[in-house]
Amino acid sequence: MTVVIFGGNGDLAHRKLLPALYNLHVDGLLPPRMAIVGVGRKELTDDAYRDFAKDGITKFSRRPLDEQAWSSFSKMLNFVNASIDAERGLAPLGARLDLLEHEGELPGDRIYYLAVPPTLFAPTVKQLARSRFVKRESSPAEHPFARIIVEKPIGRDLDSARAINDAIAEVFDERQIYRIDHYLGKETVQNILVMRFANSIFEPLFNQRYVDHVQITVAEEEGVGTRAGYYEQAGALRDMIQNHLLQLLALVAMEPPHALAPDVVRDERLEVLQSLRRIEGEAVDANVVRAHYGPGFIVGKPAPGYRQETGVDPDSRIETFVALQIFIDNWRWAGVPFYLRTGKRLPKRASEISVQLKEVPPILFNVDPTARLDPNVLSIRIQPDEGFSLGISSKLPGPDVRPYPVKMDFHYGSTFGASSPEAYERLLLDVMHGDATLFMRRDAVEAAWKWVMPILERWAQQNDPVPSYPAGEWGPSEADRLIENTGRRWRAL
Amino acid sequence: MAGAVGERVFRESSAETIDADLAALWRELAQGHTPIARAVMSNLVVFRDRIAPLDADVATVMADLPIDDVVARHPSRVIVIEYKAGSQPPDTPFAAGVGIATFGPASARYGVEQVVVRSSCTEASLPSIVRRLTRGDLPTSVWWTEDLSQVPPLDPLVTLGRQLVYDSRDWRDVRGAMRVLEPLVSRHRIDLADVNWRRLAPLRQAFEQGGPGGTPLLVPGARVRIAHAANEAALAWLLAGACMASGRRTPEESPEVEASEVSDAVLVVTIEDASHRASVTLSASGATVTGAGAGSPLVVSMPIQSEADAVAAELRLLAQDAELHAALAAVVQLFAAR
Repeated sequence: MTVVIFGGNGDLAHRKLLPALYNLHVDGLLPPRMAIVGVGRKELTDDAYRDFAKDGITKFSRRPLDEQAWSSFSKMLNFVNASIDAERGLAPLGARLDLLEHEGELPGDRIYYLAVPPTLFAPTVKQLARSRFVKRESSPAEHPFARIIVEKPIGRDLDSARAINDAIAEVFDERQIYRIDHYLGKETVQNILVMRFANSIFEPLFNQRYVDHVQITVAEEEGVGTRAGYYEQAGALRDMIQNHLLQLLALVAMEPPHALAPDVVRDERLEVLQSLRRIEGEAVDANVVRAHYGPGFIVGKPAPGYRQETGVDPDSRIETFVALQIFIDNWRWAGVPFYLRTGKRLPKRASEISVQLKEVPPILFNVDPTARLDPNVLSIRIQPDEGFSLGISSKLPGPDVRPYPVKMDFHYGSTFGASSPEAYERLLLDVMHGDATLFMRRDAVEAAWKWVMPILERWAQQNDPVPSYPAGEWGPSEADRLIENTGRRWRAL
Repeated sequence: MAGAVGERVFRESSAETIDADLAALWRELAQGHTPIARAVMSNLVVFRDRIAPLDADVATVMADLPIDDVVARHPSRVIVIEYKAGSQPPDTPFAAGVGIATFGPASARYGVEQVVVRSSCTEASLPSIVRRLTRGDLPTSVWWTEDLSQVPPLDPLVTLGRQLVYDSRDWRDVRGAMRVLEPLVSRHRIDLADVNWRRLAPLRQAFEQGGPGGTPLLVPGARVRIAHAANEAALAWLLAGACMASGRRTPEESPEVEASEVSDAVLVVTIEDASHRASVTLSASGATVTGAGAGSPLVVSMPIQSEADAVAAELRLLAQDAELHAALAAVVQLFAAR
């Protein structure tokens, strides 16, 4: 098998892809006959590319670099200087792949990874077709296969997403396309399915009869950093909500699939996205809060505001924070609000899904209106410290009968010891195995864009100031009001 | 009751890597043969107005406080903030360490996270450290280990917590400390927990039931004099506040408080009206009421409680101690009237 990484000398390859492939190698999960080919415009020798990879693995791998493992892994690494602009720009790549596959007796299965900006998705795919690198698959078990991995963002609105999907679909069959949302590769996210459908305790509770509301928070401590150019065109709604958070929501809210086959699971996720109540017109103002971070402190250190960041327009109206109240109009979730929030420069990096159950009646232990019992909350920690906990009330030891909130807490790290695989490891392995369960299908991507569009359109019509929040705090007061108006509160993380 | 630390792992850290380093420590502990449960009922932010030597580990930093004993009783994520404005460049916390202490028998081992951050950042930046390090889904208590009258609590820090725990026995200047507490008392912004207040429990019980036939000892119109041992002024004033807050006294009947030679007693309270005179003596073992009736003295014993027991008990209180708040509000008024 050959993994071809377009953008092979870029940041994603350096930080994520090459370390992920290295860890798969250490775990013995890569096929025995394997080549990895980085493709880029830069003139790099194979040795220079290996140095680049070694640096990335040393800095970003979850495991320290092992010289013996590196020695065998590095032999798989190659680099080809190629441009997709020229008529026969991929010819050097073709020649190199032929040579590698011939000399290494590789079976000809290829995975093309588009670790390039979205503007290059369509041109790259066209070049692959022109160079006759791709044959449409007629069955999933066909060999040699050609598969393509596409990174988000897939478009910046519904039209551009459709255009990208159309361009890829001209060359690849949908079953050959793997649209990555790396959140879905995280161990805890995959555990959502196991937790819901491998335990009899939870699934009967996941509905409007027992659940008061659900919160999904993806908090980033980092600011916009070096991504200002991209971020100024995107913002938190496009960058996070349209993909990661809606996918998490779909996993939590989906109906039980009848099998774990990729399309069965993806059908159920799509069903949720299609059931989201649209937020349009004035409803956007009532149900969605946007803001950007102002100056503040992060772990004691002064942090600039978004508009003061290098590369950001001082008058930018781009949001770095979004909070939403969402309803799913289906039988299971009718009337249950889902609160989503994400932001940059929040106090800590933390992603969590919490399912808050309804309060017990105000009798027995819940009589005092000034000291209500904490409702039961199932919280699923996605990162860091992956695991989940269930908040329950228990009697405090002593002569009085005093309920006290306690947690039944599960931590991957201290339960299973070894560090969990990175999302990219799992996802790359799934592509090698042809398992698309954790990848986004075209219809789901477009359904998410379709739902997001009225919000973007409403914002585009508005000129009022975008609220701000101090860096290092949990978002603007408007976000607190969004949820507190309903008598609920954001969970502090 | 488990108290002794079974095992402690520690590593130096930095403000940015505290969580990752703690996760690594848990993984290390998970390699052992004994399962260790991660125990955490609350966040305990411990403030110290001093900086230990940079090479001091977690155990050394906490050596003069019963933190291990407290968290053995009420497992909490401990975040010790050593803060001294201006002692280092102010732009970032300059040192940190993380540790895990384990407690309990091998069959029921549990571990508690302990974090030390040394900072000289601006005061306004401290909340960003606490927000980052606390588990937001758990109650947060700030344990102010300094004398409130000398090192006033930093408002941005204290108001992040649900509860401020302190010990008024440390106060060198009661009036000064009350000035500091006044805004917190009057605005009910957080729950106050005074470890010293617990020592008044037998005396307050004696007041309620020490009269003839189990009636209240503190009757309207009675003159109350509180004599206290040296260093027990705070306790005496708390009692005076409790008397006033009990609702049985007018401002004119406010207790007299004075330092006096009271032998081995902590407080001696004299309650006097036209027909009766009773005396209540608070000592380390409890409260003794004499002269209230014909019978032998009434003795209300002091619960045997270490400082760690007392702090842990305060941490478990999730509601405001209304009687303490009322007593403090009354003390504020007593000082204002003098």
